[in-house]
Amino acid sequence: MNEVATRAPKGRIDVRNFALSYETIDGSVEAVADTQIHVNPGEFVSIVGPSGCGKSTLLNAVAGFLKPTAGTVTVDGEAVDGPSAERGMVFQQYSLFPWKTVRENVEFGLKMRGMERSQRERAARTLLGLAGLEAFEKHYPERLSGGMKQRVGIVRALATGPKVLLLDEPFGALDAQTRVIMQQILTNMWQRLKISVLFVTHDIDEAIFLSDRVYCMTARPGSIKAEIAIPLERPRQQPMMMSSEFLALRRGLMSLIREESLKAMGGEITDLGMQGLNIELQGHSLADVL
Amino acid sequence: MQQPAEATAPETTAGPNPARATAREPIGFGVIAARWMRLNRDRIRALLIGALSLVAFLIVWHLLTRYRVVFFVRFTNVPSPLAVYDSFTRAIHDPKFLMHVLLSCRRILLGFSLAALIAVPLGLVMGRFKLIHEVIFPVAEVMRPIPAIAWVPMAIMLWPTNEQSIVFITFLGSFFPILVNALHGMALVDPVLVRAARCLGAREFAIFREVYFPSALPHIFTGLTVGMGVAWVSLIAAEMISGQYGIGYFTWEAYSLVQYADIALGMIAIGVLGLASSLLIRAIGRLAMPWGRA
Repeated sequence: MNEVATRAPKGRIDVRNFALSYETIDGSVEAVADTQIHVNPGEFVSIVGPSGCGKSTLLNAVAGFLKPTAGTVTVDGEAVDGPSAERGMVFQQYSLFPWKTVRENVEFGLKMRGMERSQRERAARTLLGLAGLEAFEKHYPERLSGGMKQRVGIVRALATGPKVLLLDEPFGALDAQTRVIMQQILTNMWQRLKISVLFVTHDIDEAIFLSDRVYCMTARPGSIKAEIAIPLERPRQQPMMMSSEFLALRRGLMSLIREESLKAMGGEITDLGMQGLNIELQGHSLADVL
Repeated sequence: MQQPAEATAPETTAGPNPARATAREPIGFGVIAARWMRLNRDRIRALLIGALSLVAFLIVWHLLTRYRVVFFVRFTNVPSPLAVYDSFTRAIHDPKFLMHVLLSCRRILLGFSLAALIAVPLGLVMGRFKLIHEVIFPVAEVMRPIPAIAWVPMAIMLWPTNEQSIVFITFLGSFFPILVNALHGMALVDPVLVRAARCLGAREFAIFREVYFPSALPHIFTGLTVGMGVAWVSLIAAEMISGQYGIGYFTWEAYSLVQYADIALGMIAIGVLGLASSLLIRAIGRLAMPWGRA
């Protein structure tokens, strides 16, 4: 990690003693409790956990959309206070502006910064070229496939040169084949840019394939149950997902999540009982599976 | 530009043998014309049937008036299409008729533009800021169900001249449909897009301009189209009641002067003007929203 840190000195995320709760008619509900995570500069970190465990809540707090009830969120030592272009975000729902062409979407952050038109056009073209999307610069998002939309979404988030990139289940809406391709594209892009990434997913394979480290969250109220280093070599290629090393990591992570999902169900069924049922949870909560 | 290219694509895949055969040979005019006809079949069909239906309408109208049919409704005094055509040819050379038309158009333009200029920004601001919504919405809701025509006596009291009160009535008629639709558009703005804009460094005003406004624009145009229709309704009513000029006044005056053909002429003129203004708004809408092509 040190080698990476010297190359990309900026973009350290620190979340300390983090808790977030919200008020309901029945009193306050704790979504995330007592959580510590960090992302080193240039590191790719994922958060996995059962549905509703608060992993997206955590990400939204780093983005600046939610204020923690307790604890601090800092990027490079500065407290996060509202969203900013320093923290690029990619959403599951693509969230491209339908009234803007692909290029105008990518230009958006630069325009907000006050960059002159010709300059930002050139920048956007270069970025779209890197993502293999230059032929579509004049298209409106409506006409793109899901995978292309999300590539534009990632390029748009990177256009302003953010310190960190936050991704909230970005490939969750894609079909399995496209998802695999997008994972490869993302890891290739990251390999080149070495930007700090915080990636939220419920897909264990995806988390292992992409990350340097994976945080596994507990069921609600969410907190960090385990932190797993992923020592797979880089650059990563899809065939690695069949390696014994990968599968061992997968098995470990899976059992951690299974425990959490069982806890979410109330602990009535023992782990043994679940194995008897022969159900693989794959990061979903038990409620989803049953 | 992209329409024809896209339109031919399904055709080449759908029509297997003939299409592929013609693609190889140099394409003659006849082939292109035939292909064009095939691709626009639905549109040509609609156009033909539409024309036929209009002709049928004229024939029925002609027969009903020719034979002065009395069957519950009385066609005894109703002018025939030919009589209306006669009065039309006379009217287009009559500067007075043209003045009536132009004056009505001016009133629409003034009343409608004022309504759009006030209702659109108001709707956007109400949709964005809760307090403004809370203050203005109840008043708007109480005023909204009052038909613009019911405002005529009040308008005459409020405004020093007749002209101003008629423009005011037109304004009121189009104001509420535009406001309500703008509000509706604001309510449907996708919050994820707002968040995306924030993450890209957009501040309040930029979010307004780049996200809320374009997102609400389709609904704003729906409001403008509806508002334009109601503007004409209100205008004609106001002109009939309190006007001295205008196409509504012309129609009413024709009745008083027993010039029955002019009644129909006035009505048709109102219909054509209303249709033309709706088409104009739709055309502007299409230009303003190139992303929303169907």
